[in-house]
Amino acid sequence: MSTVESPDHTVPTAVLDGAVEEYPRDKLYILTALFLAVVTATEVATYAWPSFKAWHWSETSSIGIITVLLLLMAVKFFTVAYIFMHLKFDKPILTRLFYAGLGLAILVYLAVMLMFRIYFPGQHI
Amino acid sequence: MAESIAAYEAKVSAADATAPVAHIDDATNTGISNTKLAMWLFLASECLLFGGLITTYLLYKNPLEGPTPKEIFDIPFTSVSSFVLLMSSLTMVLAVSAIERGDHHQLRVWLAATALLGATFISGQVYEFTVFYREGLGYTTSRFSSAFYTLTGFHGAHVTVGIIMLVSLLLLSLRGKMPEHRSETVEVVGLYWHFVDVVWILIFAVVYLIPS
Repeated sequence: MSTVESPDHTVPTAVLDGAVEEYPRDKLYILTALFLAVVTATEVATYAWPSFKAWHWSETSSIGIITVLLLLMAVKFFTVAYIFMHLKFDKPILTRLFYAGLGLAILVYLAVMLMFRIYFPGQHI
Repeated sequence: MAESIAAYEAKVSAADATAPVAHIDDATNTGISNTKLAMWLFLASECLLFGGLITTYLLYKNPLEGPTPKEIFDIPFTSVSSFVLLMSSLTMVLAVSAIERGDHHQLRVWLAATALLGATFISGQVYEFTVFYREGLGYTTSRFSSAFYTLTGFHGAHVTVGIIMLVSLLLLSLRGKMPEHRSETVEVVGLYWHFVDVVWILIFAVVYLIPS
């Protein structure tokens, strides 16, 4: 293992020892990646095997497949945010900050869709 | 009312002060470094940018003219690209873990792997755009094509910026300018990279997989 010594070393390495010790998360990261791979494979399966009964709740619409895909998307999104982006391990203020941006984005989506009357059949602009 | 707000703020502040942290507390009111807080603020604002672009795409996804999404999308190819980008998040987080252990060799390996996976994703996107263009889907062909290229193009630009940052970190590490106490720099770049990944998770499902 090669290490690099910094000429402007202002923080002693010993100070960081605690952080290093409380950070044995490599196994968790690999398991998370495996989980994400399985979820992605399930997503792709909705395209590869569209006739599979699990994502067909309605004979007349795609509501089943859309719901399954949205749920899988949300699972992947929050898994990456919580584990890989460390929201699970970090200060709650960061989670609130991220949710604020996410909430505003959802409000923008709803506002535009309502403005164009997407949710009102026959009135779509 | 004012008292209850003050009590709530005190409770939240106390929760933040005693929250488990991934890293050592900084000497700021929140215990979070300004750089990291700024990156999270930037990412929150990026949610709005991509929220707007995804909304526009959903509004215009049914083309009035030109090829339809169903006719041109190559889902198996894009699935492989998506998987590549997803795995780059793993290599990125392993790079952060490596520098916090002080393992500079592993840091370089994982940074290089992340940049390579990102470059593979971008190559796939360039290939995909070229194929679509040859099949008659130009930027101004239809409202669908404009919304599609703008959304995926913006995302591709973000991935490219991420690759530049990763290569910069790699060069800094090779020159010995990335000591352990600067591990937060790698973490902040990692946050940006993971965000690019979560945005693609949304795009992949909403644009490619969900049927019209």
